[in-house]
Amino acid sequence: GRGGRSTLFGTDTHPAEYPTVRAFRYFGDLVEQRSGGRLRVKIFPGGQLGAERDTLEITSFGGLDFNRVNLAPLNSIEPLTTIFSLPFLFDSEAHLRRVLDGKPGERVLASLAPHDMIGLCFYDSGARSFYNTRGPIERPSDMRGMKIRVQNSDLYVAMIRGLGADATPMDLGEVYQGLVQGVIDGAENNWPSYESGRHYEVAPYYSLTRHVMAPEVLLMSKVSWDNLSAADREIVMESARESVPYMRGLWDARVAAAQEALVADGVRVNEVDSEPFRRRMHPVWESFVTSDAQKEIMRAALAMGDGNA
Amino acid sequence: MELAVLFLTLVVLLLIGVPVAFALLGATIAAFLAIDLPLVVVFQRMAAGISVFSLMAIPFFIFAGDLMYRAGIATRLVQVAEATFGRTRGGLGQVNVGASMLFGAVSGSAIACASAMGSTLVPLMKEKGYDADYAVNVTATGAIVGLLIPPSHNMIIYAAASGTGVSIGDLFLAGVFPGILTGLLLMIATYVVARRRGYPRGIFPGWRPFLRAAVYALPGLLTAIIIMGGILSGIFTATESSAIAVIYTILVGALVYRTLGLAEFMAAAIQSVKTTAMVLLIIASATGFGFALAILEVPAELANLIGIITDNPILILLLINVILLLLGTFMDMAPLIVITTPIFLPILMPLGIDPVHFGIILMLNLGIGLVTPPVGSVLFVSSAIGKIPVERTVKTIWPFYGALVLALLLITYIPELSMALPNYFN
Amino acid sequence: MLDGLKRVNRAASAALLHAGAAGLIVMTAVIGWQVFGRFVLNDSPSWAEQLALILMIWYVFFAAAAGVREGFHIRIVAVQTALPSAGRRLLRLAAHVIVGLSGIALLVWGGELVARTWSHVIPTLGLPRGVAYLPLPLSGALMAFFAVELILEDGMGEDSADVEDGQWS
Ligand code: NA
Ligand code: NA
Repeated sequence: GRGGRSTLFGTDTHPAEYPTVRAFRYFGDLVEQRSGGRLRVKIFPGGQLGAERDTLEITSFGGLDFNRVNLAPLNSIEPLTTIFSLPFLFDSEAHLRRVLDGKPGERVLASLAPHDMIGLCFYDSGARSFYNTRGPIERPSDMRGMKIRVQNSDLYVAMIRGLGADATPMDLGEVYQGLVQGVIDGAENNWPSYESGRHYEVAPYYSLTRHVMAPEVLLMSKVSWDNLSAADREIVMESARESVPYMRGLWDARVAAAQEALVADGVRVNEVDSEPFRRRMHPVWESFVTSDAQKEIMRAALAMGDGNA
Repeated sequence: MELAVLFLTLVVLLLIGVPVAFALLGATIAAFLAIDLPLVVVFQRMAAGISVFSLMAIPFFIFAGDLMYRAGIATRLVQVAEATFGRTRGGLGQVNVGASMLFGAVSGSAIACASAMGSTLVPLMKEKGYDADYAVNVTATGAIVGLLIPPSHNMIIYAAASGTGVSIGDLFLAGVFPGILTGLLLMIATYVVARRRGYPRGIFPGWRPFLRAAVYALPGLLTAIIIMGGILSGIFTATESSAIAVIYTILVGALVYRTLGLAEFMAAAIQSVKTTAMVLLIIASATGFGFALAILEVPAELANLIGIITDNPILILLLINVILLLLGTFMDMAPLIVITTPIFLPILMPLGIDPVHFGIILMLNLGIGLVTPPVGSVLFVSSAIGKIPVERTVKTIWPFYGALVLALLLITYIPELSMALPNYFN
Repeated sequence: MLDGLKRVNRAASAALLHAGAAGLIVMTAVIGWQVFGRFVLNDSPSWAEQLALILMIWYVFFAAAAGVREGFHIRIVAVQTALPSAGRRLLRLAAHVIVGLSGIALLVWGGELVARTWSHVIPTLGLPRGVAYLPLPLSGALMAFFAVELILEDGMGEDSADVEDGQWS
């Protein structure tokens, strides 16, 4: 164990000025201030220490102290995290934020402890939508036969197939060229990543399906957590909680800026009625939500929808 | 202190004669003990370091090239190439560089290029009386050109690392002239060395034998067309094309030429697995080593030095080149792009240096790092294919390093080389 | 005794390389099928990429273990060749010991890696993540085993293959 170290290591796959990284730094500064400089948090952005799946393992071993990852790579480690990745589960980002701030969010964060990770808080990742090289997607039938790049995830594959398209797993590094040459027709992501990966240069149709809202999560290694005093744990927890509103402000501004810049650049955006898409997702939900604990969290999340708010 | 442990252990182990992969692993373990990090992480990084889709191009292109050689397809190709380009001294060397530039136009991976060119051309160059070290030198340095000639996935990594200001389309355009320039300088080096060593000119056999050779070579020539056509028309990605090359070569060798039997096939597979293991084990260990360097903030510390030393733009660019060449000696390309880009760009942009221009400098600079010891994946794969020790490769590679460094200086100090095309199209 | 060990190790090393070659051939078929599925059937096999990656980790580490015995790993021999034969033998022994210790490290901490990730799932394959890491401890054990043979050989004064030529068999 690294009980004696005062510099704690954190990792993030996004580039240095991305909202997650800035919020992470804000969190680190709070920890340093409140501990009177006893605890320092050094953040390594840009994925320089490895991809999310890899750094998750390293964090659980105690090789890294903090980690900011998306919830999706946690799906293959802890089944409860799958609920927040379910396609078309949330009515809006307001709905998502209520769920994350409430009991379901707490339960999912707590579910990571048996895997040697302490869930500190959720950050926003906005809503992911489809973009492609062919034309606007308005209804599921528009996606028939399209080759859509997905992350290496069973849930994403099932979702794309459920919508009648061909789910093509592909390394993120090959997507840009894959779009140029027509190996794939489209992919999916949120506004800021659509912009920073520059996929809009070659796939200019962005259709607001808002299909997945899987949030980001800030984690601490349980090994490092166990090395902290009770007072320091409180400092870490509180600082994480306080970084959330800061992150949300940054996030909303970033989404608005990305959207404005891309529309000015000629990206064709269209609104989508999500209901026909959502109806096709019920079999997907059923096949991925199997345990009682999963069902309970899903019910609680659905009950917090916009209709009931 | 931890840094001293890392480098001292590496140097001692390398000098004892411990294989490079194990020397890197030993040094990383020593550094992890000094930093007090759990050792299981080293091995996670090792496995993750080769769990990379684009690395598959290495075994596939080596396999395809070896099959072509064993089935005699490559020999026929070279007869045609020799008849066409062979009348200059070191003609096959020129063919090698030229083919690398063409290959670079479909693949952005220097190591894939070295695997493909090396396993087809190096054995043939040796047969034709070229020295192994010359063949390896030309293959290794020629492979760098593909990093500049679009497309190049490293440029895509750079665009993402630079924030949002750099267009991938502009980067691709900016790489064209620097890529051609670098290729031409390498061709000059290839010629000069060939002349000094007195390699013979090829003889043009006359039109009829030439055409006959071309017809016999046609199925082999089609490999290149299938690969390029398949990628450009979107049937497969650049990485996948390497597997398609294997399958196509098996079909041609077994069914068309009927020169590929089961014994040759298995021998090629075993040889390819050996060469792949040599190179990928080093990449695996280097990934753990790179993790230690990143945690110790070596790249960032070096980059921060610049601001302290000078504020003269010409000197800053020179220093950046020196630092990148140093770092590239030990670390691989992608992590260095990610780490150094956000540090260097804020220094350079106030000086009026365009991020697109810097991207091209970065590509060539880090590309040179791929052919320099002690950690240079392209150097290793080329030496392994040429079956000569790395030291022998490096002993005679200097004229080619010279060409690359000259290209780097020209590209650094003549921004128009990079910026003319993107400016014209915008 | 050394002869018995050598026979066993020679067979093991050959078996590793044949298994590795089989892995490469299967990997070729998997990626070929991926292209065929996507382009011709319009139905991409979701498992292809992950399966090919696992195959690659397996055969790289298997062949790397064989490489310890066959001596084909890339190394710098300049110092060894500059020394008189007693010194050369000493350095060679030291290098074999380091390689053997590396093999043990792969066995121990690679084994820990397997154990700690066995409950994780590889998406699209449904296999434990530890399966991808399993070749590390396996090849580590073999490397240590092969290193023992090399140490015995050099230690007992038998002249093993010449340094310069032995590298690239
Ligand atoms: Na290229
Ligand atoms: Na290097």
